[in-house]
Amino acid sequence: MPPLLIIDYHNGVPAYRQIMDQVKLQIATGMLPPGTEMASTRALSADLSLNPMTISKAYGLLEHDGALERRRGQTLIVRETHGAEARVRRIDPLRKQLVAAASLARQLDVPKGEALKLFKEILDDETK
Amino acid sequence: MNAVTAASAAPFAARGITKRYGNLVALKDVTLEIPAGRIVGLLGRNGAGKTTLLNVVSGIVLPSAGTAETFGVPTDRLDTPQLTRLGVVQQEGGTIGWMTVRQHLDFNASFYPTWDRALEQRLLGELELDPKRKIIQLSSGDRQKVGLLLGVCHRPAFLVLDEPMSALDPIVRARALDLLLERLRDDGCTVLVSSHILNDVEKIVDWVICLDQGEVVADSAFDELQESYAEWILSSPAGSLPRQYPEPFVLSHQGDERQARLRVCTNEFEAAEKFATACGAQVQKRPLNLEEMFPLLTSRRREGR
Repeated sequence: MPPLLIIDYHNGVPAYRQIMDQVKLQIATGMLPPGTEMASTRALSADLSLNPMTISKAYGLLEHDGALERRRGQTLIVRETHGAEARVRRIDPLRKQLVAAASLARQLDVPKGEALKLFKEILDDETK
Repeated sequence: MNAVTAASAAPFAARGITKRYGNLVALKDVTLEIPAGRIVGLLGRNGAGKTTLLNVVSGIVLPSAGTAETFGVPTDRLDTPQLTRLGVVQQEGGTIGWMTVRQHLDFNASFYPTWDRALEQRLLGELELDPKRKIIQLSSGDRQKVGLLLGVCHRPAFLVLDEPMSALDPIVRARALDLLLERLRDDGCTVLVSSHILNDVEKIVDWVICLDQGEVVADSAFDELQESYAEWILSSPAGSLPRQYPEPFVLSHQGDERQARLRVCTNEFEAAEKFATACGAQVQKRPLNLEEMFPLLTSRRREGR
């Protein structure tokens, strides 16, 4: 089954960006394991009712970023990563959320120590 | 495949074209190129010159000055090799009222060796159109469907559509949008479409041309537009925000010294953060959709920016 991508056509975020973010997140969470074949540009374009150019751009940039790689002619697959690269790939989506949280913390004037303590509490809470 | 031939010369190119109707200047010194294999949205307010430009593309109207070329041929010399690769869907029908839908399709098919009967049959079904009805008895929505069929069934390399979906219901509109995407996927057909239904345009276009009072005010890849227009909410509990924003990238602003909403256009990375730091404020930013962008696009020139 191809990855389920949900595109919001009207939120102002370019569709190619939305595809990239969602594919990266699905790779990070293991929904798209290494070696998974991506849908063809044509198929995904029909599926999402999006311009094929948009899909090519997203795929091209994902390839450039090392998330995908081209195999056996044209097929795009999820690239296997190891070590530091795999770790960065996994925590990258979290980093994005934390950047926003950090900005809010500064805005609310929450001291660094207190913000870290809060994050730790939330982590502990969720694992119970 | 058509995509190859279409890519060799730009489907349309204009250099310094002006079109006058008496005292009225409908197009003023327009220079642009329609990139092949794209879906180009032609936007603008009423009377901005959209229909005139589309009519120049198809050779229905000749410019008063400047040069216009379709498939690399000056539009006053368009002939069978170009016209058979062009699909035109006009705003006001352009159909023959006494014919049935079937008769009209057959009539048009007789001009085109490439007429695709299987596509025609499928579209009659998808667009829910009864071929036995007379054109004159059709609702305006059904007439637009006929216009679409007549525009695409010969599988053109370049499709020019003027407000092709204004009377269609949302279900059929979605199918019509898919039809345009499908023409691009199957035939590499370049699409130039004018529309006021920005929510629709936003889904399929990858290039935007915006006219205002006959002049081109935007001509850009759609995702680049999306990445340059934004809204910034600045907040400063201490009340340190400026009263005026003379910066050229600030297109509009409202608010006071504690909180302000800015609509901006900038390609600079982290511009919002730098700007906020400079005026001692926090910033939240969000991108703008096409409907929010539209007033900014069409008012820039008038405000002398």
